[in-house]
Amino acid sequence: MNRINAMQEIVKYTKNSIIISANGFISRDLHFLNEKNSNFYMIGSMGLASSIGLGVALKNPKKRIFVFDGDGNILMNLGSLTTIGSQKPKNLIHVIFDNSIHESTGGQPTNSKNIKIQNLAKACNYKVFFAKTENKIKTIFQSLKHTAGPVMIVVQITKSDNISPRVEPTPIEIRNRFMMSLKR
Amino acid sequence: MKEIFQRKLFDYLLSKNIENFIGVPDSTMKYFIDQGLKNNKIIVTTREEEAIGIGVGMILSGSPSTIFMQNAGFANSISTISSLVQLYEIPMIFLIGWRGYKSTDAPEHIQIGKIQPNLLSSLDLKSRVIHEKNWKSGCDWAIHRMKNKKPAVLVIRRMKDE
Repeated sequence: MNRINAMQEIVKYTKNSIIISANGFISRDLHFLNEKNSNFYMIGSMGLASSIGLGVALKNPKKRIFVFDGDGNILMNLGSLTTIGSQKPKNLIHVIFDNSIHESTGGQPTNSKNIKIQNLAKACNYKVFFAKTENKIKTIFQSLKHTAGPVMIVVQITKSDNISPRVEPTPIEIRNRFMMSLKR
Repeated sequence: MKEIFQRKLFDYLLSKNIENFIGVPDSTMKYFIDQGLKNNKIIVTTREEEAIGIGVGMILSGSPSTIFMQNAGFANSISTISSLVQLYEIPMIFLIGWRGYKSTDAPEHIQIGKIQPNLLSSLDLKSRVIHEKNWKSGCDWAIHRMKNKKPAVLVIRRMKDE
């Protein structure tokens, strides 16, 4: 299962939800698979998708907020796990697509091969799930309705075969339509 | 800035509907932060960039936010400010404590303190230095910019050697 396979399964369940996606191939794949106004494609500021997601989750307690993150991204902002675990947003679902490489920059290794992100998240008050098949993703999402966050789903993936095109809307367009989606 | 003015500064921003104060503490503004903690309005983060990220999420949700930090942390955040706050044009107020303003400050602050005004102008971030006589008009200026969807920086200098 590569990132596109995994994301294709996940967006069946996220439907019209708010999603904040990390920079690089994660935002490109989301844009390719499930382009919609309620996606915030974070095209720069590597590491911060989880922090933006926390800010949105705290201010929108009645909406479920998804963060699509990568192992390289979250390892860059590990402190955010302690802030999220302290603030305890019930509505935050933090998905980590973990391939143990910086795929967007050429496949260089990350430390998630040696250190399990699941264990870090558990220590930070997350409820943690792990999947490496589409079937497991399905089971997890079916049980999520009854689970209070913060939730982390670590999805183990392999390197992709194809690269999705760049995100099309401009940053200002992304901002405006995302803000409108939050007002609904 | 004396304790009473720091506390007034917080109360004033709060009264102007700034709803969130997120950042990494700096001793230059410890009474400001203390006033915020008493009002249960502060989130202390692990790094300054994290604070900016959370603030962006809240501002996108329609909730005005101020991010506080020391100038060293501001320097850490340059890439985030350019590729998130400026790229997406997020109206955010920064409150920055300026260590190394005086050449008698602790040695670790001297070099970064010296380039602080240049860092702001290189980023093309508009700023005001606030003190006990002008803090209110500084806040009004920053809030006005925020309402026009532009970021603003308020700087508090460290005047005393401790």
